[in-house]
Amino acid sequence: MNKNLSKVIIQIFLISFVFLALGPILWAVVTSFLPLSSLTAKPIDLDPTKFTLTNYVEVLDTSRGLMSGLINSMIIATFTSAVALTVGSAAAYALARLSLPGSNAILLSILATQMFPGIVIAIPLFIVMSRLGMIDTHLGLMFVYLSFVLPIVIWILKGFFESIPIQLEKAAAIDGATNTQTFRYIILPISLPPLFATGVFAFIESWNEFFFAIILTRINVKTAPIAISEFAGQYRTLYGQMLASAVLASLPVVILAIIFRRFILEGFVEGAVKS
Amino acid sequence: MSRTSFFSSINEIRNAGQYQRSRLKMGILFTLPAVIILLAVLAYPIISSFILSFQDVRLAAGGIVTEFVGLDNYMRIFQDAAFRNAFNNSIYFTFVEVIAVTILSLGLALLLNHPIGRPAIYRVILLIPWALAPVANAVLWKWIYNANYGVLNAIVVGLGLSETGVVWLGSPFLALNMILIADVWKAIPFITLLLLAGLQNIPRHLYKAALMDGATTWQQFVHVTLPGLRTTLIISIVLQSIWALKVFDLVFVLTKGGPADGTVLLNFLSWRVTFNYLNIGYGAAIADVLFVLMLLLALAYIRALRPRTSARK
Repeated sequence: MNKNLSKVIIQIFLISFVFLALGPILWAVVTSFLPLSSLTAKPIDLDPTKFTLTNYVEVLDTSRGLMSGLINSMIIATFTSAVALTVGSAAAYALARLSLPGSNAILLSILATQMFPGIVIAIPLFIVMSRLGMIDTHLGLMFVYLSFVLPIVIWILKGFFESIPIQLEKAAAIDGATNTQTFRYIILPISLPPLFATGVFAFIESWNEFFFAIILTRINVKTAPIAISEFAGQYRTLYGQMLASAVLASLPVVILAIIFRRFILEGFVEGAVKS
Repeated sequence: MSRTSFFSSINEIRNAGQYQRSRLKMGILFTLPAVIILLAVLAYPIISSFILSFQDVRLAAGGIVTEFVGLDNYMRIFQDAAFRNAFNNSIYFTFVEVIAVTILSLGLALLLNHPIGRPAIYRVILLIPWALAPVANAVLWKWIYNANYGVLNAIVVGLGLSETGVVWLGSPFLALNMILIADVWKAIPFITLLLLAGLQNIPRHLYKAALMDGATTWQQFVHVTLPGLRTTLIISIVLQSIWALKVFDLVFVLTKGGPADGTVLLNFLSWRVTFNYLNIGYGAAIADVLFVLMLLLALAYIRALRPRTSARK
């Protein structure tokens, strides 16, 4: 009896969790398909026959900035995660296995990078990039995103590389493989899950970033989050468009997170255990 | 069989010195790109920001003019009511945010660690709010909080709690708390996943032993779960404090700092002073104060990690 009661309570909690986690998102998705007249009706008019794609068609109009925002975000996030994985996996392997002098100091400073408020580096970066003509360029944002994605990539991958049995590399060395070959043909292929996890993580972080994007871009390289914020401007009242732009810009990362859920979830567990 | 292994071990000894050297060379080669990037994009700006905070920086025709003003910017901080307001807001926000996120995430992690909550679907559900862009999250809540057409007011009026509804972002302290709620909602998934990983690392047999000793569920929680989660809890509290101090997107989209500067947090103030008021030196000084606050938290983080690493060795 008591057991059943606690089961019921747990079920209730689970249902409320699902409701609270997905409710706000579902609400935004559903209402993004409604015309303004339904949204501003009292009470809100949820008549499904009035569902329309107008909001989506309008925000995707090339003059509205969301389309180019999505493309810019795609370019920046893809390159950032590719470079972060290449540079990061090499560094992580060196720190995990190549008995580098000062590796502890490097690791600690990598960890410390997570603690900086963005604004501290944003001001000097803005000045330097203005001088170098890197404001409003893809390259400029990529460098900045690399700086905060790279440490996490290195940290997680280092933990994983350390968990690979050292015998594997010894065997390869005895067979005459060079260090680079060992890394390329033995370590990397068995590290695909954490590589995917960190790659997806890097992509999502760079895709979603807003603070530096608003400081370091003007017109040409507006990213998707900037486009959303413009649709959500303080005195804007086109609620449907604001919601449609948020849904569209969230779709790629949410889908990525769902597809790679196993890698991400395992990456978390792995990372938490190893760190 | 033994012949080959004999020869290979001779080979191994002969090559050991060279092998070590090539390892070192490769190690440096492998770390160099990452170190260069981090030095250029992090180390240089941090030092530069420190120097800027002692300067008066103006944008004049043709470029940026700087003038050394000593501690002026820092002195100004202590007299600036806007700074004090942002500081208090940030401390309140961070404190309440961290407590709320930690307690709710711990509860949720325990729920999802229970046999009934184990199905993977629940963890996937956690990933969705986590992956959402903070700006999209802000838009979500902006719509929910909308005074005229928001669903929150529809609920409040429907339940008869208020006749006309509440202007959620209309008064300073209420607006700050509404931003807080939106931020807590977004932060819970990550911390819950961290705590879940921590829960799964607690050895099963400890619970069995506790059960045999006749421990109640509550006693198990206090004497097995909490001590086992200690490190994970400290890590998540420190990380969450750092993230709460960095909140920007929500303020930018929901209130732009208003009403009456009620939702101006330190990060936002520094941005506004620098990039709206173009008071770059003073903005840098505010940023450096925030930096010191976070550095203290970072030291706490590194300390929290230390006992674990020494225990592993």
